[in-house]
This record gives sequence, C-alpha cells and structure tokens, in this order.
Amino acid sequence: MNVSLNWLSAYIDLSGLGTQEMADMLTFAGIEVEGIQERGVTTDLVVVAQVISKTPVEGSDHLNVCMVDAGEGELRQIVCGASNYSVGDKVPAALPGAILPGGWEIKEGKMLGHASRGMLCSASELGLPDKEHGLWILPQDYTIGTPVRSFIETDTIFELEITPNRPDLLSHWGMARELAGITGRSLKADPGAIGDTAATLPAGDFIRLSAPEICPLYTATRISGVKVGPSPEWLAERLIAIGLRPINNVVDITNYCLFELGHPLHAFDAAKLTGPLDIRRAAEGESFTSLMGDTYTLKSDDAVISDASGRALSIGGIMGGLSSGVTETTTDIVLESAWFQRSSIRFTSRRLGLSSDSSYRFERGTSPWNVLRAAARATQLILECAGGTAEPIMVGGQAPCLVPEESAPTATVLEQGTDAKIYYALDQVKLDWKELDIMTRGSIPHLEAARILKNLGLRDTDGKGNWDCPPWRLDLKRSCDLLEEIVRVYGIDNIPATNTAIFVEETATDRAHDYRMALSHKLAGAGFLEVQTFKLIAAESIDPTIASVKNALPTKPLMEGDIIRVSLPISEDHSTLRPSLAPGLLAVAARNINQGMEVLRFFESGRVFRNTGGGKGKDIETEVLGILMAGKLNPASWADTKPADVQFAHLRAVLDILVPKATITLSPAKVARPAAALVADVQINGQACGVFTRIALATCRELGLPLESYYAELDLRKLQQIATAPFKAADLPQFPGSSRDSSMEVPANLSNATILKAVEAAKQKLLVACKLKDIFCDPTGEKIAADRKAMTYTFLYRDAKKTLTAAEVDAAHKQVLDTLAAKIPDLRFR
Amino acid sequence: MKEQIASVQAEAVARIAGITDMKGLEEARVSILGKKGSLTQVQQGMRNVPKEDKPVVGALLNEARATITAALDARKTALQAELDAAAVAGTDLTLPGATLATGGLHPISLVRDEAVRILRRMGFTLSDGPDIEDEWHCFDALNTPEDHPARNEKDTFYFDSGKLLRTQTSTVQARTMEKQAPPVRIICPGSAFRRDAIDATHLSAFNQIEGLYVDRAVSVGDLKGTLEYFLKALFGSETAVRFRPHFFPFTEPSFEIDVQLQAAGQAPRWIEIAGCGMVNPAVFENIDKVTGKQLYTGCTGFAFGIGLERLAMIRWGIRDIRLLIENDARFLAQFH
Repeated sequence: MNVSLNWLSAYIDLSGLGTQEMADMLTFAGIEVEGIQERGVTTDLVVVAQVISKTPVEGSDHLNVCMVDAGEGELRQIVCGASNYSVGDKVPAALPGAILPGGWEIKEGKMLGHASRGMLCSASELGLPDKEHGLWILPQDYTIGTPVRSFIETDTIFELEITPNRPDLLSHWGMARELAGITGRSLKADPGAIGDTAATLPAGDFIRLSAPEICPLYTATRISGVKVGPSPEWLAERLIAIGLRPINNVVDITNYCLFELGHPLHAFDAAKLTGPLDIRRAAEGESFTSLMGDTYTLKSDDAVISDASGRALSIGGIMGGLSSGVTETTTDIVLESAWFQRSSIRFTSRRLGLSSDSSYRFERGTSPWNVLRAAARATQLILECAGGTAEPIMVGGQAPCLVPEESAPTATVLEQGTDAKIYYALDQVKLDWKELDIMTRGSIPHLEAARILKNLGLRDTDGKGNWDCPPWRLDLKRSCDLLEEIVRVYGIDNIPATNTAIFVEETATDRAHDYRMALSHKLAGAGFLEVQTFKLIAAESIDPTIASVKNALPTKPLMEGDIIRVSLPISEDHSTLRPSLAPGLLAVAARNINQGMEVLRFFESGRVFRNTGGGKGKDIETEVLGILMAGKLNPASWADTKPADVQFAHLRAVLDILVPKATITLSPAKVARPAAALVADVQINGQACGVFTRIALATCRELGLPLESYYAELDLRKLQQIATAPFKAADLPQFPGSSRDSSMEVPANLSNATILKAVEAAKQKLLVACKLKDIFCDPTGEKIAADRKAMTYTFLYRDAKKTLTAAEVDAAHKQVLDTLAAKIPDLRFR
Repeated sequence: MKEQIASVQAEAVARIAGITDMKGLEEARVSILGKKGSLTQVQQGMRNVPKEDKPVVGALLNEARATITAALDARKTALQAELDAAAVAGTDLTLPGATLATGGLHPISLVRDEAVRILRRMGFTLSDGPDIEDEWHCFDALNTPEDHPARNEKDTFYFDSGKLLRTQTSTVQARTMEKQAPPVRIICPGSAFRRDAIDATHLSAFNQIEGLYVDRAVSVGDLKGTLEYFLKALFGSETAVRFRPHFFPFTEPSFEIDVQLQAAGQAPRWIEIAGCGMVNPAVFENIDKVTGKQLYTGCTGFAFGIGLERLAMIRWGIRDIRLLIENDARFLAQFH
C-alpha cells in the first residue's frame, strides 16, 4: 500500500522526522518499507524563470538554446528539448547544484557544442503529477527567481508491505493510530468518530440479507441532489499521490474513505436501482459485467447485491457493476457500507481472478465496527464536496459477533448509531505475566508492558490481567498475541541475547548427511562435478534436451502408474516428480556438450519419487546417487593431445572407488529398458543396490552425446550402509605369495563372470586372488579366430603359515586350471 | 719398485681425470686394478722385494690402490652428476600443465554444508521429512488456516491424492515433534516448492534450512543469541544483524532477519536473510491434540528458516538464481 506522508500528517504529528527515521520507525513496527518516493523538491535551486529567447540548435530537430531570466541579474543560457513553451512563458529552472527527485544532480554541461547552465523542468522531473507534456508552464503572476518549493507541496510516498495479520494498517488513519501507539506521538482527531453517533434507521424492507453467512451487516445511505463533478484539488491530490486516478467527486470519496479509514464503500446511482436491495448468493451461472466492462460467470458461492429487477448490481465486496455506477449525470446516490465474510470474498476473488482495493481488505478481514464510521465519514465528505441531502443511514442486519462464544456474554460491547444500533463485542484476552517473563527472561518490566498495551488501545478491564482489545484489532485473540505486541514495541534490541543450548544425540539424518558429503567429496576428487537438477521434470517433451520421464533409469524399472504428477503444473516441462536422476543428468550433459565440454562427468545425489501400486499406493521417496560419465577421459592439452574416450571400464572403476572394500557384481538385467542400450543390476556384497547402464544410442544421438555414455544410479542408503559398516583391519601377510599367469582361449561371447565362477568352483584354498590381466581378440581372424578371444588371468597363491614351494604352487594352479577346463568345455589354454 | 708404483699411480690418476664416460671409467678400472691391470702387475713384483723393505713397499701399494680407487669413485660421481644434469636439461618449467578432469561440489551443497556445520557446533541435530506432504503437516499443524493465501492450487503444487509438495521445510517441525518428546533441537535442510514462475529471482523448487528449538523455557533472548551467532559465523563476526517484527502463522512474535553487507564500492546494505520467531502455542497444541499426549503444551521454543539459494546468491554475488539449476560446468567450476 502507498502511504503519503502529507496525508498521514493530517492525523499524527510527525514533525521533525526525516525520511530515513520514518522508514526505520515503520520497519521496526513490523511494516516493511519496499520503496520511498520523494515528490516535489526541497532545494532552493529550482526557481521560477522566464524564457527570454529561443533559438533552434543547428543539426537538431528538437533542441533550442534558450536565454532565461532566473532573477540573477543576468540571463542564463540553457539548452532545452521540450516543445510546448513559447518566449515569455514562466517555467521552473533547475540551477546547477540542484538535486531533483531520484537523486539527480543538475550540472553545467554542453549539448551539441552549446553551453547549458541548468535545466528547464517538467512537473514530473520535479516529482509531481505531469499535467502537460513538456515543461511545466507556470502562471504569469509568479515572481521570477522565487524557489518553486514555496508554492509546490512536497510529499514522500512510502510503499509499504502490510503483513496479512494486520488489515487494520491498510489505511492512513490506521497507520497513524499504529505509529502514535508505538511512538507516543499525539494523534489528531479521528475522522471516523462521527460514525459512533451517526443518525441511523432500521432498513426495514429496503435491505434484504438473503445470505447472512456471507453478509450479516449491510448499510445503505441515500443522498439526493448531489452534483457530480471533479473532486476538490486537495482530495484529488491525495489520491494522485498514492497512485489513484481521480474520476469524480462521489467515486473519489468512496476511494478516499477506503484509504483513510480502511473500510471499502460503494456508491450506486439511485436512479439505476429498482426497489429494495437483496444481498444474496449468485445463481449458478449468473452473468455479471463489471464496471471495467469485463463479464464474469458466477457461482452460488459468490455474494451479489441485486435489486427488485433481480439482476446483479455488484459482486459483494469485490467490484461494482457497469450499469449501476455513478456517472456525471447522477443526482441521487445510494452509498453502501457493509461487512463481508473474508473467506467468501477470498474464494470468489481468487476464482474469478478479480481483485480490487475492496476485496484486498475484505479478504484480510475488516472490522464490523468500521462500517458505520466509513458510511458517516463518506456521507460527510459527499455533502461537503458534492452537496445534496443525506437521509439517516439505513442499517440491515447486525454486526457479527467475532468473539469466542464462551466469552461473548461477558464481553465489553460498543454501541454505534441512533435509531438502529450496531453492537460490537470486544475481544477479551487474559495476559499471563509468567509467560512474558519466560519468553523474555524477565527483561521487560510489567509496568512497561502494560503501558505498551494501553498505547495500542487495549484496556486493562479488571486489573487481573484481562485486557479488552480495541475494535480495530481483529488479530488479538490469545495471550501470545499480546506478548507479540509487547515484544514488538519494546524492541528485540532491548532484550539481551542469551543461549541455552542442550546436548543432542546424533541422528540417522546426521549420518546420512555426513555420508553424502563424504561421497560427494570423493567423487569431486575423482573429477566429477556435482549438479543439482530440478525435481520436477517433463512427463514427455518434444525437445530432447528437456529432462523427461522417458530418460529415467531408476534402480528398479518403472511400472504403469509409478509416476507422480502434480495436478496443476506451471508448465509441462515441470509437471512430474523425477523417478530417477538420469533425465536431469542427461539434460545437463547435453547442455554442457553444446557448450564445448569434452569431459562429461556429473553426479547428483537426491530424492527420486514413485508411487507404489499403480498410483494408488504410497508415495515413496528414495535418496539415490546418479553418476554420468562420457566423452574424453581428460580435456586435451599439449601434454595429451588425444585423450582417450570413456569406456565401460571407467565408470565401472568409479563404483570400486565408492565402496573399495566391497565386492561389486554387475549382472545383465532381465528386463530391458528403452532408455538404455545395456543394463546391469548392481550387487554390492550380494545386495541389490542399483543399476549400471550404457545410455541408448538413439538417446545419445538425439542429445548430441558421445555414443559411449554410461550412467549408474545407486541407492544412497544401501551404499551408506555398506560403506560405513564396521570392520577390522587385516594383518599384513607373513609369507610371500606366488603368482602364475594363464591365458585361455574361449568363445568371444563367454563372460568374465563364467570364468570366475569356474575358478571359484575349484575351491582352491591357496588361491587368494584371480585378476583379469588382458583380453586379446582379432576381428580379422589372423592371430585368433574372429569368434574367439584370449583372456589372460593372474592367479595369486599364498599360504598364511608358510612360504609355498614352487611345486606346491604348481599343483594348486593345475587344480584350478583343470577345473576351468572341466567346467568350460570350449576353453583351450594357450 | 717404489718408482714403478709411483709412476703407475701417477699415470692412472692422470688417465682417470681425462675419462668422459662411464664406459671409459670401467675400462680404466679393469686395466689398472683388474687381474691384469697395471697396478696388479706391479704388485706381483712384491715377491722379489727384500723382506725388510716389504712393509714399506706394501704400504705404498695399498696407498696407490686407495688413491686410484678414490679417483675412480670421484670421477664416477662427477660423471653421474653430469649425466643427471643432462637428463633434466631442457625441461621448460614455464609450460602449462596437462589438463585433468576436475570435479567439485555444487554451490548449494557448499552453503548447505557450511550452515549445517555451524549449527551442529551449536548443538543442533539433523532431522528430515518427505517432500510430498499432507495438508496437516504443511498447514494445519502450523496454524495456517484453511483460507490462507498459500493454501490453494495457484500457489501450492497439489496432487490428485490431496497431498502436496511442501511449501516450506517447516513441515519437519511438526513431523519431529510428533515423534519425540521435548527438548527438541533440530535443523532440516531440504527442498520446498511453490507455484512461482521461474525467473531471475524465483524457482518453483528451491532449498531451505529449517531450525527448531523447543524446551521448557526457551526465550526470545535465546532466539536472538542463537541466530546472531549463526549469522556472524556465516558472514563474519563483525556482521551487523537486525530483527524486524514480521508475521508468520506458526510463530509469534515473528521476525525477519537482515544482515548488513557491503559489496565492493557500495554503501553497506541491509539484506533480508531469514525468517524466525517464537513457536506459536497453537502449534504445540496441535501436536498434542494429534499425539494425544500433553508433551508440548506449556513449552516454549523458537523456529527459523533460511533460503539456501538466497544464501548462495548473497555469498557469491550471483545475480540470476537460474544459474543454480542450469548446471553449466563453466559456472560450477568457479566453486571448486
């Protein structure tokens, strides 16, 4: 909300406060200052000047060299680009050294070679509303040399963010009342006070409340014989200052009262109404055209004001209609001041996407106590500015009781109006001083706390800690609300900082965090970049570089219904919770290869999501690690001009780095996956931990990635469990081992696992390790048949208790080789 | 004999001094000290030396052998030094290095870990909760009424199941208190989601760190002391910290926290960094209602929340939040 300092000063004495002090005061009252605009000038260096001559500048289509008389005894040359003035006009001239709104300092300069010693100003350059395009032409009777600040009003506009719990601050009076309460500065006369004693009558048949659950209190004031026309200057200026456009005196006054007292009003043209008013729910599908000319289809959740004709004249609390508003020809009006249920207004406003200054206030909560005040104040101003005669305010219904049922019978009740009274029950809150002492560790004296509450308008009802809350404070309901007020006003700065820490136990989440960090540092050390991709990805996308479900490679294959989609995505690209980290990592790889990256090594750790039971089961969140590896092993350099390409074995090696002590087995998966050319299940120490894949070649081509791109996704908790399992350090062997190499020729498609399994079957107790040393094949078939390969293994034998003799090693080795030959019929030793 | 020894020794020493390679050195050793070497041959003349002269001549022979051996060794050391020098000569130490693949952590991980490390020093322990939440943990438990602006499909991602993506990590407050009795002193780094269009300052999925301390008599002073310490640890001990009154449904009183930071060449500015406050008693009552235990009513506590993207942006002067999700290696490489 915009607040004008001048307007505010009409209600509270703010003399002696600088802009910054004012901003600090608001800030520490809990009101966020989002912007400050200075209007007008405070310097003496902007003066009335008369244009004496005006010569076009050669080579420019709009610049003129002007000689102006600024009352300095000699003429001053100023180059000016405006076109709306003539020789003899009086205009504001900013002299060198003047600082204009926005901190713009005027300096002497040259334009197209002509000296310019100042600037002729438009109104907007002086921070005032622009009344004409171009220079501000001043009246001829203004004296040359007079500083313009002597006849223009300066103002400061604060753009304030009011928190949703404080709707009472959404007006100038409300703001003044708050500042007075906080600072103790004196408050001037309450412009709404006339509402307490305003003449009222029961509305009788004229107001029918058909939806009292939304609108229990509605008042209407007939004012006849008004003369609709422009608002008086003071009123128009206040509205302009806070960013509103004046329309006509009656409409402006309803707006003015909204920003003065905080209660929305609406004026109908009485001539356009037929008979009594009915405040009812809209019919399903009822159509309504707003005064902005937009048409809306209503539902029975929406409240409308209608008349005997049955048509909706306005959407209650939100916006008036096109056909019932006040125009230049209006002479009689009906002024509405009513109270609407906040949730109803919020609901309608949001559904229709229609909001107004009125709905903004109603949906945050208005006080029924303000209904008569606003009606009486607006009536007073209309009579003052537009003439006419007003009838007593017609009151339909009664103020809702907003205090809890149990305390209503004993609540203090305020009374407003004459012949139709409105009653307002005050909230009573019991303040527990002990709570204050605990919360502030006794640092706020009770007397001081009581003074703060009194200044804010609360009343100590019985001296026993029961406080009556003022009628404008809808947010004070409980003891903690009062404590908040005391701490807020007393100032947290005045409460000493303390510390009462306790001992805590490490949790599983602590350990998970530590493991994740250790793992991340390990991968970073191995040359992998950690990335953080978006958890919301596309269900599908035509753009292959957008992360989408089809590239998912979760630890277990996806089933129908596993995918979790948000109901109302902002965009299709971010519509689905990622079931795997692969789509994000592939998108990252594609992005980076497009930027010329040769080494593609990325990892991410984080949550992936899936539903069990085809979308009807539980939503499962799993922490996984995704590692993608492709491209060159290293960036090319003079020292390594042709770095090798990443192969299967490189990502496989990374798994060994992650859990060096564990046994990792990759077994080709039974179920193929569309996103992968090759898939293997990863077992670590016999436990299923994730998948190892080679990305589908079609995907690689689509994304511009190297055809050899590898990806692994592993369950982070299982990795953690294995990697952090307790263990004992083994002793070093006491006796030397002895190794034997053996090369064997096997069919090209025979797997390493088959050979290792056969070696294991030998159950040779002396064999401590068997390591693949080399694979040899020759596609030409010259050195070895094309459908065969030679695999060389190194076998290490050792006895823990003695040094083995060559004969013992040979015997053991022979037993292993014999088993191999027996188990694998097509194996020949070389 | 004596003259012979002297002449062989002199000859040998002179020869050794002129040798320029290891091969020559070995040849010289053999031809002087070897079986048929010149000194060995002279030595054989010992047979004919009169008995009384033998000790003197013997000593001379030994001395000659020692001198020659020393000359050979010295020459060998010198030659090796020359060879070693030649072996490394010509290395251009001004050349650039080979390029290795370098890795590193994402800036969000770095700030998250830093915040976690500081808060753990202060006795906070990590806690956790799901990203997919129910309305109770995200709103009801946290005293956010049904008609609160955040509780609608325009601001919050809902699922057809009625569940939602948590809009704040504060959900973990409720989840932790449900599970354990006070005192509670936890932090929770994690994701939060809001239906904001992505631009230079907004992401619809972002990271926060939440903190909660509940005990019998936690005070506003504790809140202040804790967060001042934390922020000074994060931004430097000289950093000014201020608390502005604010409003959150789940804390009362509530504050926003600013830190005063100065960019190079600019005046210091107050920058909003976190939200905090004393836990609203309604939150405790909600927890007790659900658990059926009277554990929390009557407790006091404070809670705080900090946006990690914001922290990273302030820490490193990052202007566009989208850089944090684009994962361009050129951007990420700056944080290694």
